[in-house]
This record gives sequence, C-alpha cells and structure tokens, in this order.
Amino acid sequence: MNATSQQQGQGQQQHPNIEGRHDDDAALSEFLASLMDYTPTIPDELVEHYLAKSGFQCPDVRLVRLVAVATQKFIADVATDALQQCKARQSAVIKDKREKQQKDKRLILTMEDLSRALHEHGVNVKHQEYFADSPSAGLDPVSRDE
Amino acid sequence: MSDGGGENVKEGENNLNHLHSKKSRSRADDFGLSIAKVAVAQICEAAGFQGFQRTALDTLSDVAVRHILEIGKTGNMFANLAGRSQSNVFDIIQGLEDLGSIQGFSGASDVDHCLLGSGTVREMVRYVGEAEEIPFAYSLPGFPVLKEREPGRTFEQTGGSPPAEHIPPWLPVFPDPETYVSLHKIDEKMAQIWEDEVGGPVEKRRELDKTFANLQQRMACNGTQPSVEVDFGNEAKEKGLVECNPFLTPPLQHGEKEVSLVLPPAKLSDEVFLQSANLEVPVSHISAMETFAPGIEAVKSGTFDFEDGRKKVPLNGRPNVRFKLGGGKRCLRVAISSQNQGIDKNSTWFRNDDGMDDKKRRVEQILKPSYESAGTDSLVN
Repeated sequence: MNATSQQQGQGQQQHPNIEGRHDDDAALSEFLASLMDYTPTIPDELVEHYLAKSGFQCPDVRLVRLVAVATQKFIADVATDALQQCKARQSAVIKDKREKQQKDKRLILTMEDLSRALHEHGVNVKHQEYFADSPSAGLDPVSRDE
Repeated sequence: MSDGGGENVKEGENNLNHLHSKKSRSRADDFGLSIAKVAVAQICEAAGFQGFQRTALDTLSDVAVRHILEIGKTGNMFANLAGRSQSNVFDIIQGLEDLGSIQGFSGASDVDHCLLGSGTVREMVRYVGEAEEIPFAYSLPGFPVLKEREPGRTFEQTGGSPPAEHIPPWLPVFPDPETYVSLHKIDEKMAQIWEDEVGGPVEKRRELDKTFANLQQRMACNGTQPSVEVDFGNEAKEKGLVECNPFLTPPLQHGEKEVSLVLPPAKLSDEVFLQSANLEVPVSHISAMETFAPGIEAVKSGTFDFEDGRKKVPLNGRPNVRFKLGGGKRCLRVAISSQNQGIDKNSTWFRNDDGMDDKKRRVEQILKPSYESAGTDSLVN
C-alpha cells in the first residue's frame, strides 16, 4: 500500500512524516465520520447498486457515502461550469441587443452548455444539431426536383 | 498507471456519442437511471438552474452513473492489484485521483505523496463543509430486488424414482407429459367444440392461445406441478385476448414453417368437410369458419401444398383447411389478420381487415349462389 511504500522511500525523514500521517489519518477518519451526518443527494441504494455492478466490494457504509459525495461534487462542478456558460451567453446577448429585460430569462441547462462543461472534465458529448426527415430537406427546389 | 494522458483516453472512450442511438442501449437499467435523473436534477437546481432540456438531463444523469461505475471499477482494480478482493478507502482515493487528474488537483504532480493527504480528499472535505445538504426527494427501497425462486422438486422429494437408470434422483422431476405431448387431444376437443358451439371463431383462437400460453408458462415455470386443464368451454372469452402473449406461443417444431391458412372452395368443402370431419355444421356458418385459425394447425402440420391448389383436406379428423373461391383473397386476408398474435409474418403480408368481417360474411352469403356457378377462379396463395 502507499503508506508503507512511502515509509520505505523516505526513511530518514520518518519522524515528521509519521506525525504528519497521523494528522492526515485523523483528518480522514474525522471526515469519514462526518459523512455519516451529511446525507448526499445521490441515494445510498443507487450508489450501492452501481458499485456492485462494477465489482466493487466493500461492506463499509462510509465508503459508499464517500463515492456518493465524490460523484455529487463532480456533478456540481459540471453544473456550475454549465451555469457560467449559460450566464455568459445571456450577457453576450444582452450586450448585442442592449435589452436589459433579457436578464429575467430563465436559466435552462442546454446541451450546448453541458457539452462545453463536460469537455473540460474529459467527457466528450456530441449532439445532433437537427434532424431531417428526408435527404432532400433543406435543399434548393431545383436540386430537389432532380 | 495514473497519468493524465491515459486517463483522458479512458474518459474519451466514455464519450457519449452513442448515447443518442437509443436502440443500441439496453433498457435493463431504467430504474437506476431515472433515480439518477432525479438526484442530478436536484443537484443542478441547487447550483442555480431553473429548467432543463430533457436530453441534457439524460446525458448528465448518464455521466453521473458512469462516474459511479468508474470509481467502482478503479477501486476494485487497485484492490486486486494489491492482492485483495475487498476494497478500502485507499483504493477509492487512488481511483478519485485517477479521475481527477484530468482537471487536476493540488498535489497531483507529487508522485510519492501519501494518499491520506491527497488533494482530492481535501477538496471533498471542503465541498462537504460548504455545500448545503440536499436529501434525495424520494425514499428508496434496496434494489435490485432478488426474486426468490424455489428450486425444482427433485425425484427424491416427490418420492418417485427416476424413469431411467441414468437419471440421478437429485435432479428435478420431469414436467407433466401433457405439457409437451402432441396436441391430438386438443384437436379432438376442437372438433367437439365445433359441434357444440359454433359461435365466435375468433374467441376459439383466443382460447387456444390462452391454453397455449398456460402450457408454455407451466413449462417455463420452476418447480410447480402443472395441472393441465384444457377448458375450451370457457365462458370468459374476453379475457382470452388479454392473456394471449405472443412470446408465449409455442415455438415451431423443426422443419415446420409458418404458412398461411388455406381455405377450400365453399361448395367443395361442404361435402368433403362434412364427410371427413363428420360434423353437422350448418351451411350458413361455413363462411364464418374461415376465421377459424388455430395456432395448432399452422404450427403442428407441415407445409401446405399450394401448387396442388383447390383443396387440401386432411382426413385424419383434424379441422380442415378450406378454400374459398372468388372472394378468397379477402377471406384469407381476414383469416390471416384475425390470427392476431402468433403468426406475425402473415399479418404483415396482408392488411388488417378486421372491421370488414361481418360485412364480408353477409356479402358472401348473398353471393353464395354466384360462387357455385363461377368457374375456376384464381386461387389464393
């Protein structure tokens, strides 16, 4: 495990590191204990189901909460990025049209903002611009007759 | 193993390009996905959004599910790498570092750092401290719910001995012979019914389908002792249609083909029909019997010989196939279309003319004399 390998790697500086590790250890166990008070938005049953599906075995509930909180943080980050994109687009629109009533428009999560936000986090999402019902949709009438 | 480039490729492979081709995605996970949608919507609402596009919500909830799966996978991998089967907190932290290496976290470049002081953990501690607690909107049962299946009753349990030496007694008993033995008994009963009640051939079909559905269900179910009740005189005909399940119709035997029913010419079939089947069916009902299309017929009997043409009357006491001249095509179409579930191929060949049933019968009865005087007409296939 990493703790032991680090111990071997830094043999001479062990004393301050041991203390540091104890602090970290305490911090982590405190954090895990505090997780039991904090209820993540993603329910435990859902996380347990998908962890079991991926082969992850752990009877400890705190770890399930840890995964739930990690995912919640990830989604919250993506959502805030998308919100910033949305607001930036709205402010750009306002600048062009100079209509301040535009600020009252609702903030809606769209695929465009979402794909840009997800791209920064490493997930590539491509979305269809539009769907056409026939191959000649949108073409000139001349070529359509052909 | 944990370099930013490698992780990027892994995440890149998780791209959701194929998300929008819903046909290729399995639908087995709908429940979990819908719960994830609710949770993600709650998170986004807390972030400040007031509305969602549906596809955007679907995409983000799918990303959340994949995130959970990814953490689980990496956690399991790290545990296995260390020679353990159960994961612990360090495996999770390493997994989080892998996933977080795309955006980056403080201390990512420090290869030898202790996991306890990892930047990802610190960020999470900060997040938990700052963010307000949003409980999930619904209360969930534990899922997936495992169905309790009782094991099949063994030969030992039933007290009988296996029918042959090579069968050990700890195996489950064979199903009731009536569930798989050929359906001659049912044919005889069908003839009986024709004699007794000649009303609503479509309901007969439904009853047969229901019986077959029952048989199939009994054969498929585990550990129950089937009691075969072939109740043809069932009065509850309307529920027959509800219980017909196309997936439970009996499969075709080897070498059989699903062929359309052939109806013999009206005038010929009268005599031959009455002779062979020995039934006293009134003439006026002949046109009504065109829709008699037992699934048994098409399934159990072999291919019909259409080149032969006019009549094909098996003389073994089974219900006959009957030709119709003139309006034969439409009769057949009606016959085929009223074989609603089991024979899907045929229903696609012909249009659905169910509404024309009564009208057509009346027309046929009116035009019956003209049929008899008509010459050889083109025959249906």
